[in-house]
Parts: sequence; C-alpha cells; structure tokens
Amino acid sequence: MANLPKATIQGLPSLKVTSPDQIPEAGLQLEADVLVIGSGAAGAVTAYELARSGARVLVLEAGPHIPSSEFEEHAPTALETLYQDHGNQVNTTGDLAILQGKCVGGSTVVNAAACFRAPNQVLADWATEHGLENLSPEALRPYFERVERNLSVHQNEPHEVNYNGRLLIEGAKKVGIPASPISRNIRDCALTGHCVSGCKTDRKQSMLVTYLPWASELGATILSGTRAESFDVSGRRVTAVRAVATDAAGKEKPVQVRAGLVVVAAGAVQTPLLFQRNKIGNSSGQIGLNFACHPSLAVFGEHENDIYAWVGATLSAQAGDIENPLRGGYLLEAGMVGPVITSAWIDGGVGSEFVEFMQNSKKFQAAVTLIHDHNVGRVYLDGDRKRIDYDLDDRDFESMREALRGTARIYFAAGARRVYLPTTRKTTIESADQVDSVINGLQNGKHRYRITSYHPQGTMRMGADATKSVVGPNGLCHDLDNVYVPDASLFPSSLLVNPQITVYTMASYISDQILARA
Amino acid sequence: MRTKLYRRSFTKLTVLTGASVLVVPACRDDAVTPPNELTLTSDERDLFERFAEVFLPTDGSSLKPRAEVPVVDNIEHAFTLMDAPTLEQVRIGLKLFDYGAVLIGLHFARFVHLSAQRRLDYIKRWEDGLEIQRGISTVLKKLVCYGYWKDIEAGRAIGYQGPVSKAGGIASLGNAPMPSATNG
Ligand SMILES: Cc1cc2nc3c(=O)[nH]c(=O)nc-3n(C[C@H](O)[C@H](O)[C@H](O)COP(=O)(O)OP(=O)(O)OC[C@H]3O[C@@H](n4cnc5c(N)ncnc54)[C@H](O)[C@@H]3O)c2cc1C
Ligand code: SF4
Repeated sequence: MANLPKATIQGLPSLKVTSPDQIPEAGLQLEADVLVIGSGAAGAVTAYELARSGARVLVLEAGPHIPSSEFEEHAPTALETLYQDHGNQVNTTGDLAILQGKCVGGSTVVNAAACFRAPNQVLADWATEHGLENLSPEALRPYFERVERNLSVHQNEPHEVNYNGRLLIEGAKKVGIPASPISRNIRDCALTGHCVSGCKTDRKQSMLVTYLPWASELGATILSGTRAESFDVSGRRVTAVRAVATDAAGKEKPVQVRAGLVVVAAGAVQTPLLFQRNKIGNSSGQIGLNFACHPSLAVFGEHENDIYAWVGATLSAQAGDIENPLRGGYLLEAGMVGPVITSAWIDGGVGSEFVEFMQNSKKFQAAVTLIHDHNVGRVYLDGDRKRIDYDLDDRDFESMREALRGTARIYFAAGARRVYLPTTRKTTIESADQVDSVINGLQNGKHRYRITSYHPQGTMRMGADATKSVVGPNGLCHDLDNVYVPDASLFPSSLLVNPQITVYTMASYISDQILARA
Repeated sequence: MRTKLYRRSFTKLTVLTGASVLVVPACRDDAVTPPNELTLTSDERDLFERFAEVFLPTDGSSLKPRAEVPVVDNIEHAFTLMDAPTLEQVRIGLKLFDYGAVLIGLHFARFVHLSAQRRLDYIKRWEDGLEIQRGISTVLKKLVCYGYWKDIEAGRAIGYQGPVSKAGGIASLGNAPMPSATNG
C-alpha cells in the first residue's frame, strides 16, 4: 500500500511520465496533434488547455521527473537536481545568478509561490508601445481569475505571516510605504519554508501537482529527460521536432515527434536558443534580444532578538509601490532561505566577523527587492555555449538604490540595529540617519553586488509589428504558421512583480487563441 | 613580463568568475549530466583549506567545527557539476588567486604559504580590488560557504531548522483535484 503512487491512493488525478530509461535504445518516433516543448508554467497550462479540447498532446521536458516525495528540503541538493545548470547559470560577466527550474514542472516546482497580476501600467505600456491592445486588464481578467481559482491563489492568512513578515509590514507602515501579506498559490501550507527546494507535501500548487497531472489525466503524454534540439522545417511550418532522451547511464536516445502544431515553452533562456540553433523565426532580428530579469538583491536587518526569518511561509509579506513600475516603483518581499543561500546573498565579512554574522543570522529581518528593469540583455549562442549578456543599466541601478533605501528605512523603523547590504564587500548601515549617505555612495559596476535573477523574461518579444517583434498578439510566431510561444520570453517589457501568474494567464489566453484558429 | 601574463590571464577570465549560488558558471547551452569524474589537485585542496581556515574560523564559536565538515570534498562535488571548459577556467581563477601574491609582487609567496593574518589581509585586498579580483574572491567565499553549509548539522548549529516534513510526519496532500468542467 505504502508503495502505491499517492494519487492512486487518494483517487486524485495522477501524473504519468515516461522517463528516458523506459525509451528503447533505438529511440522513438511519435505523432501528436500538439507538441509542447517544456513542462513549466507555460508548457503545463497549454498542455492541459489543449488536451481539454480533445487534442492529442505530447510534452517534452529536458529535466528529470522528481516526485515530490523525493524532495529533500535541502537547498544544495535541490539546486543540483532541480535547477538549470545545477544552479550555476550566470550572466557573461559572472556577477548575476540566473535561476530557473529544470525538471518536470519547470521553475514552478522551485518558485516561492508569490502571486501577482501584471500591473495595469505595464499592460497599458504593452498596448501603446507594442500594439497589444488585446491584452487589456479587462480582456485578461477572466484568464487571471481562471488560473487563480485553479491554483488556489489567496492572500496569506494571519498565521501564514511570520515574525519577519510582520516586521516588514509594521516597519513599512511607520515610514508610509504600502505593505500587506503576500498572495500565494498554496493549499493548507505547512509553513516549512522550503518552497525553493520543492514542496515535499504538495501544498504549493506548482505545475507538478496541478496542470500536469490534469493534462496527463486527459491523455497527454509527458516525456522527461528529453531535450528538443532541432526542427524539420517546410516553408513556414515546423513539421517535426527532433529530441534527445538521456537515460540514467548517460545513453542518448533519439526521439522524433511529428506534430501539426508546436508550442515552444522552454523558458526565456532556452526558447530563443532553440530558435537560434535552428535559424528560424527571426526575420525581425529580435530573437534573444530584450532580455530582462528583475535583478534582485537581498537585504538583512539585524535585531536584538531572534527572528528566525526562515521559519514559516517562504514569502510572507510585501511592501512597495507595485502600481507604478514605470515610475521607479519597487517591490520588497519578506523571506529568507537557509544558510547556503544566506551566505550567498550577503557578504558578512571575513574571519571572526563572518562567523559572528552567521551566528547572528537568526536575528536577521530579511527581504528581497524586485524592480522593473529595462530590456537591455541578450541571450545567444557562442559556438555551442550559451551566453546571457546582461549588466545592470544605470537607470535600473537608480531603481535598485531606491529599493535599498526603502528597505533600510523600513528595517530601522521596525527596530533593526544594523542593516547589511548585498555588496561584494561587507557594507553595513549602522543607524537610520546614515541610510542616505551610505546608499548614495553605492556605485553601479561589475562584480560590486551579489545579484540574483529569479525571473528571466523578454527574449521572444510579443508585438503587433512583425518587423520589431518575434511573436504576434495571439502567440503565433510572425514568421511561422504553426509555432506558438506562450512562455515568459514573450513579455515585451518586464513586469516588476513576480511573473508566474502572468505566464499562466498568457498561456491560457494563447491556448484559447490556438483553439479559435483551429 | 609577470604583469603581462597576469593581465592576459585575467582578461581571459572575465567570463568565469560566476556569482551564482554555487558560483561556478556553466556556460554550455545546457549543463552536463551525469556529473564528471573529478579530483581536486593537492594545490587546489590546499587553497580551499587555507582560505577556509581564515575566512571561516569556527574555533571558539557556536558553529559546528569546520574540521568535522567535509568542506573541501563538498566543493569537489560542486566541481563535478561543471563542464570541461568552465572547469578549466575556474581552475585558472584559483591559480591566479593563489599565485597572485607572487605575481603582483605583494608577498613573494603563494597565498597558501602566507601567515593567517596576511591571508586575511590578502582576501580583503581582493574584495576591494579590480573587477576580476572582486569576482574571484566572491567565488572562493561562496564555494567555501557552500562546502560548509551543505552539511545539515552545520545549519542546525546556527538555528536553521533544516528538513522538517518527514521528521514532523507532515502528510502529502497529493495532486490537486481536476478543476470542474465549468471552472476550467
Ligand atoms: C527560485 C525561483 C523562485 C521563484 N519565485 C517566484 C514566485 O514566488 N512567484 C512567481 O510568480 N514567480 C517566481 N519564479 C518565476 C516563475 O516560476 C517563472 O517566471 C515561470 O515558471 C516561468 O515560466 P516558463 O514557462 O517561462 O518557464 P519554466 O517554468 O522555467 O519552464 C521551462 C521548462 O522548459 C524546459 N526546457 C528548456 N529547454 C528545453 C528543451 N530544449 N526541450 C525540452 N524542455 C526544455 C526546462 O527544463 C523547464 O522545465 C521563481 C523562479 C525561481 C527559479
Ligand atoms: S512553505 Fe508551504 S508551500 Fe512552501 S514548501 Fe513549505 S509547505 Fe510547501
């Protein structure tokens, strides 16, 4: 009994995944109505929505299928097994970590569950600057509502806001910055604080426990460890996709899929690389350009008493002005992960001062910053090596400074005795009246800050003008008749807020567009 | 002559001084799996030991004694997750750090042979140095932290709860029920 899959025991939809070990050595030749590349936020939603309409759907996922029962609630293990490049993906300069999931369920398996709709100001900008009048808040509302309902999105209840979250809200209110509990896609959260290592008990409503089992239940076939590599092209159509399944012994097996429709949902880094490698879809010259990533900084505030910021919901509360991303608005999210991440986020000095810093980490109030960054980056192939060129733009550095200033003011108002900034050499602010002078002294530059991106976006820009964008307003590639892109790569500009809900929403919307055109 | 060599190697290195969580940039289109077989050289082991000794001196603190954690073995494991070109570049970075003390003529001895105080001062100079020096010193710090706090008990010593669900008997909720037909 104990060995039966949990879904069978409970009579819930079950996720059936074919692993590379189950594929014969000679490989596979398959046919489908719809081939979906990538099983993350966009791929899973599209697979379900199209399977629901009766289509024969096949999903190829490059990463492994790791059932939640095998999650170890240990960040180093999670990075190694669930993340792209084992957690080591960085920009060309090497001073920005770019995190993405690489597993069945994609980044949704390791994300922190924060839920926001795209701000109206961003959608208005997409309409005026990119001709996307179809994506007005009113037009998208039913799609937002649908995914939020399906994923049990709701604002954290009082018991889900830990001490760290309460300090953020109290401090923010004192200095006049709007703040509230954050919304998350969870059911009955057990408050373990392990979202970024995967939710072991299936409370986070990631694609692994929602849209993928639902698609599977409706007949969709899902292949893990199988990486799409090349396209057979005839005129304006992709007729087949060739992939490689790599089994546990490292043996590579060819998988070929003929499909009427191809949906590329490999995420904002891998989707453009796939198009570039196959030299298709790029008459605009825009593929891989316009990369943005919400460069994020962590800030710690040391208090007299213990806070244990890592206990409870991974993200509990938010502060900032999310309605004005285009006017320098920033977002702060209360949260902290274990010591590997703590010591990676902030430089606590060297020698005895570093030891003291780590001993004191339970006294830290902690939050991460998000900004609406400009699309200044580029993803491309340099031989067979991927490159992600992205250095902090001076305009974005100003927004970051504003976010740091806001965070430090909130922390001191909440009672912190010291604030640690995320510079590559230990920098502290010792009192509220030093906030401006210390932060004004920070300069933009390479290898000056410990920066992480959790939200790559923008490399397959959506827009009405085929000379300036890659994907049309309905998600169809301008240059191709049967290839759609529904993932985070299509955002014409960055959101400021965490993107998962907007990705699910766009994928639902594009699925409807596909069905309307079928 | 020495300065030229130093500059050339540094320029070559600009792409490599990763700042990710494990810090080691994997630049191939898609990272290697399964992991490479790899052994750190004795110079590399020495460098990490000597670096950790002054960067993370656990003696006399409430931290788990560093000697009880396989820090360097854990770093070696992190290295197995890199592809060959990246690994080569990272190794150049480590050499530059170790021999930088000789090359830029500050100490006329490798980092690993300096006294503890001089090693500390050396790390601090690199933190404040050129872009590439800041990058390499950050890489070393992050790798040592990774190697040390990979140990679950090292986390518990500073009050971090570590894994909880299994020990706490928290039940799985299983997959979510299908949305109703009308809901979508
Ligand atoms: C640590 C972390 C925390 C985050 N926290 C939040 C949060 O709190 N709230 C929020 O809104 N967002 C969060 N995000 C971001 C959010 O999860 C992503 O924006 C979203 O999942 C992007 O969806 P996607 O479909 O574009 O890509 P992904 O979800 O990343 O899915 C892409 C999938 O494609 C697969 N793939 C790539 N190449 C190929 C190929 N050639 N063949 C087959 N498969 C391929 C990948 O392995 C991956 O599984 C977080 C992300 C991370 C990494
Ligand atoms: S905090 Fe809640 S949603 Fe996140 S991993 Fe723990 S139980 Fe799951």
